[in-house]
Amino acid sequence: MAKARALDKRRKSIKNIRKITRTMELVATAQFRRAMERSVAADSYTKRIVRLVSDLAKAGLKAEHPLLDERDSKRKAVLFILTANRGMCGGYNSNVLRAGIARLKELRREYEEVELFVSGKRGVSYLKYHGYEIVRVYTQFDDKPTYEEVLVMAEELLNRYKTCEVDRVDVAYSKFLTLSRQVPTAETLLPLSAMTTEVAESDGAVSGLDYEFLPSPESILEEVVPYAFKVKFFKTFLDAAVSEQIARMMAMKAATDNADQMISTLTTTYNRARQSQITNEIIEVISGASALQ
Amino acid sequence: MKFVAVTPEKTVLDQEVEFVVLPLYDGEYGVAEDHSPVIGRIGAGELRLTLEDKSIQHWYVEGGFVEVANNVVSLLTNRAYKLEELDVSAVREEFDRAQTLPSNSPELMEIKTEAVNRARAKLRLAEKDGPVSRQ
Repeated sequence: MAKARALDKRRKSIKNIRKITRTMELVATAQFRRAMERSVAADSYTKRIVRLVSDLAKAGLKAEHPLLDERDSKRKAVLFILTANRGMCGGYNSNVLRAGIARLKELRREYEEVELFVSGKRGVSYLKYHGYEIVRVYTQFDDKPTYEEVLVMAEELLNRYKTCEVDRVDVAYSKFLTLSRQVPTAETLLPLSAMTTEVAESDGAVSGLDYEFLPSPESILEEVVPYAFKVKFFKTFLDAAVSEQIARMMAMKAATDNADQMISTLTTTYNRARQSQITNEIIEVISGASALQ
Repeated sequence: MKFVAVTPEKTVLDQEVEFVVLPLYDGEYGVAEDHSPVIGRIGAGELRLTLEDKSIQHWYVEGGFVEVANNVVSLLTNRAYKLEELDVSAVREEFDRAQTLPSNSPELMEIKTEAVNRARAKLRLAEKDGPVSRQ
């Protein structure tokens, strides 16, 4: 009797766990959709900026800006690591942290000082435990980082970069490529070197109109560059949010599937145990009865 | 004429308008129907939209660009608030904070000037064209 009951208990608890993982999967799916929409909106925005830059290029303006140039001085660098606030998302956090720590080591070799900024409770507790010094902690970015919040951070970084207090800004995050592919990456955001290549890629996107530039193409370029940085910075947060939800979706789907499998094997074992128990009891009754004859 | 305002996060405005006054970097710029193609740099200041029913909407926008082409005015900006959303005391605080920024190097000076100009434009709007001290 004892064995069958224990099996049944176990099966019940796994059923409960399955309910939880299933719900988490559904929640992650819903949040993923929301995050995805925001990411798409930001994408179309980035494209517009890139088109603007190519229009500027057509006006015969070369992309030159203090933010685009590599600096000779190597005093201080800032590294952002964007992790999740919660676990239950498979290898998401550890992958990002691995990419982040690798970049941190590189930066430490090159720069005298590296400031570590970490977003997400998971990353914070991991890095603290391993003895890394974290200069700033952000835990308010969940599945919905707002541009307003990110903008404040971006402006502060820009100012520190402009005044030469910081010579480089890197971000380690999970880059969203497709639904089935998110790559943990570390990117350099300042100096902003990628802009010119992006323009080269989008040659066909020039709108073909002859624009008048107000006040002047140079002045617009002056605004475009920091702008591109802000949008790119925001994009990393959006990508991280989308990737996190995808990772959670996958992890929870796998957990639910495993629970299903376990429930079915446990059910079989339970039924067998129950059956053999009944058989045993019958044998006992029969043998008891025959002993009495 | 169509007017579209977007931030990286969302489309703030998308509607038909009759006339727009844009706060460009070096002054206001009016755009009406059939305007020639223009790309402009937006400063910080008031955006006025005259709708088709002649009512006027006031917005505060900060930074970004405007593109005018084919009777579509598209505004890419960092921040866009309706005038009613601005909180005078918060804006005043921002203005005061901007004025206490350090200015002991050319770069810092530039940052400060920008911050003060932004805050001043915002404050002027929040107080609805009230007087703002110029120190």
